Amino acid sequence: MADKEAEERTVGAHAPQMASPIPSGEHTVWADVSPLLEAACGDLQDGELIHGENFNLFSAMSALEIMDPKMDSGMICKYYSVDEAIENGAAPIPLSFDGTVDVQCTIDIMDHLLSCEATWHKGHSLAQTVFSCIYLLRPDRTSSHALLHSYCSVIRATCKAVIAVVSDARTHEEEDLFIMAYGLPLSGDGDEKCLSMLNAVEETICRQLRACKSSLPKTAEPFQSNFDLEEDYCRALLCRLRFRKHFYHVLTCMRRPQGRGLELARKHIASCLLELDLIRNSSTFLSNNSFGMNKDGLEDMTTASGRQPLGFDSSLNCRLSAPTPPRAIKLLSWKKAVDYFVKLLHDLDNICSYSLDPLLEGVFRFVVQFQKTQPDLVARSLLQFLLVQDGKLYGRDPLYAVITKAAGLPESAKNHENQKNQYIVQLGQLVINLLKVLCTNSAWQRRKLGKILQDWRVIYMQMEMAFKRDFSEILSISNGENAWMKIFQHILIWVEEQTYWISTRFLVLGFELELYSPSQYCMVYWYLSVVLIKLVEKIHLRALMSNETGKRKGKKKGASSKDIGKDFRIPPAVSFLQCQICLAEGLLMMLAALRNEHIIVQSPSPFNSEYERFFQHFELLQKACIPDNITFDSYEQSTRLARISNLVTYNCFKDAQKIAKEVKSSFSNDPEKLAELRRIELVAEHNSVALNLIHKVGALDPSLKISFEFNHHPYFGTALVKRS
Amino acid sequence: MEQESGGSMVQVGCNVESNPDSLDRVGKVRKLLFRRMLIGIKDGRFFLGSFYCMDKQGNIILQDAVEYRSTRRSSPSPMEQRCLGLILIPNSCRVSCHVDSTIDEQLALLSV
Repeated sequence: MADKEAEERTVGAHAPQMASPIPSGEHTVWADVSPLLEAACGDLQDGELIHGENFNLFSAMSALEIMDPKMDSGMICKYYSVDEAIENGAAPIPLSFDGTVDVQCTIDIMDHLLSCEATWHKGHSLAQTVFSCIYLLRPDRTSSHALLHSYCSVIRATCKAVIAVVSDARTHEEEDLFIMAYGLPLSGDGDEKCLSMLNAVEETICRQLRACKSSLPKTAEPFQSNFDLEEDYCRALLCRLRFRKHFYHVLTCMRRPQGRGLELARKHIASCLLELDLIRNSSTFLSNNSFGMNKDGLEDMTTASGRQPLGFDSSLNCRLSAPTPPRAIKLLSWKKAVDYFVKLLHDLDNICSYSLDPLLEGVFRFVVQFQKTQPDLVARSLLQFLLVQDGKLYGRDPLYAVITKAAGLPESAKNHENQKNQYIVQLGQLVINLLKVLCTNSAWQRRKLGKILQDWRVIYMQMEMAFKRDFSEILSISNGENAWMKIFQHILIWVEEQTYWISTRFLVLGFELELYSPSQYCMVYWYLSVVLIKLVEKIHLRALMSNETGKRKGKKKGASSKDIGKDFRIPPAVSFLQCQICLAEGLLMMLAALRNEHIIVQSPSPFNSEYERFFQHFELLQKACIPDNITFDSYEQSTRLARISNLVTYNCFKDAQKIAKEVKSSFSNDPEKLAELRRIELVAEHNSVALNLIHKVGALDPSLKISFEFNHHPYFGTALVKRS
Repeated sequence: MEQESGGSMVQVGCNVESNPDSLDRVGKVRKLLFRRMLIGIKDGRFFLGSFYCMDKQGNIILQDAVEYRSTRRSSPSPMEQRCLGLILIPNSCRVSCHVDSTIDEQLALLSV
């Protein structure tokens, strides 16, 4: 205490001098008011404040509290600045005068940077992760240490490339911390030559490695002081350097326009994975040669050796991560970081192996499938970059062509002059927007999907109105032979179909995000089935129309089109959806019957009524009138009379099974759809059995416990019947 | 000028302590509201902002505050600065507090 006082007194005495760098106003001085304030405090009553007229307690509460570690990012911890840290030897160059230690420390820095990078990708600020490395912050300082210098510059270049991808794609809206790099030396002098530097260093180490292996007398000077370890250290360094090189290549290849670099990127991805394996294996050697380390905490360590790395201080840069409050960052361990990169590379490989499907439906399917693996931000951004470039699909296909193709119109419609029609242009924008939204994380995606539904609905209504206005005359006169009118009609139906598709995705994502409670499953399946029925309707209608157009076209040209003479049959896509509808209906009726017969007792929620919950879940759909005339009442009416006995006689699950079996042959070369059908069959079978069981014993045995699990399908639950 | 003000301050401080009539000290502090205030804190940083509020415990809120920090422990050294907006400086970490004023005003303010 005495010390503290003494310290304060000395600081106080110096205060005017220390304050001198901050100028007071003209003809004014800094007058010390501390004694006055102190005295005034004594005069104040408890709870009394000195404040002006514009004072607002509420806004005063939002003041940033200085010296609060959770709010004050500027707290001076160890060093006042990077320069001071360097002067105090926090980041020496060379890292040690002992060659072996120098190499060891360099490898530790490399490993720790990998952990930092993975942590950054996972959503922490760049300033407090990768750029907590003092060596990275002063690009020129490392130039005398070729190995460290090349590694640092490739790290900076990689970060820059990753930021460019993510900020261009704007997939990061919810993860906006990611791209903040204000005040960080992202591009050091000569970082553009990082690859050649890296190659040169790699070449030197390779030569060294060859020298170790040959039995010839050593000509080259050993890389480090301990000859026995030379070979292993060379290998440990090589895989690390090569990983960086290939990873940088992956990024540049994937950013080539129109997906031209994807094939080459895959080769680099394969090399990256190979090097990562070697990096992982090097940990045995590295940890065995780190002295004085306890091996117990190795799991949490950020380096392969288990040592603390030199030259890192995350508090130095804390201020640069503003406007965020300072966060305590727990870095991923080195092992987890390696795992992260393996996952990232697999996700990227998945993107690179994509065939650039010209059909929009295929694109949507791919993206939805891709999202199932829960890819992280970087992978999602690269996917979005591939999909939307220069306002075109893959930077290649103009949106009008994509839409007409998706709507099932013939090639000839593609070059129609009406592609400049304002609605078509708007629709193109909506499609681009939808593609981007589909690339965001699930939570954000669901929110955005709910919002853009309105836009799709509005454009549909506008187009419908325009259609009636423009073509009402033509319709009555020429019996609908107008080409543009045909196109317009097709597109109209297609827009509706997309709207329902978005709605299903919106509802299904709710399961993935666990937004529904079991008591609400009934209404969710009800809504899902209603939307799916509408979706099927539109798909069916469009298929019919395309069929008609195709036939007529065939007849006109007199060509022997395949369509001629072939009767229209239900498209497999429709049957496929019918399976899902049956399943949803089965589940909703089962849930309703269980509720109606009091087998599942639902205690009324203390917070909101069922009507309110209905509105909360489906507000966005209701607002966009998806579908028309659907209200809470229609839900109540359709479920009120459900009884188990009726369900057994008319069993939706059996229908689902039947259709699934029939439609399987149509998808023999589509493993993804086949797997989905198999899952549907499984759920249907289980639920069918459960239904019968409940029917037989339910009324007799009041102790029957029924719950729903998602063990066979991500969003169609399986009933679990238990006697308690 | 610095020295001069430093000297007068010691004197003035004594005056305040010894003067039994300085009852309206609260009123005097109130007159300082919205003036430019420079506060130094324990870790060596300074905050410059307009005086917004003070409570009985001596915690001060500054508006439109700017943080000044030296880049080295050994002073004098170049200062770095950044804007922070509305900040609360707890009494416990405050080591100095100055108000921008003319010399006349300073005397008037501090001596009663």
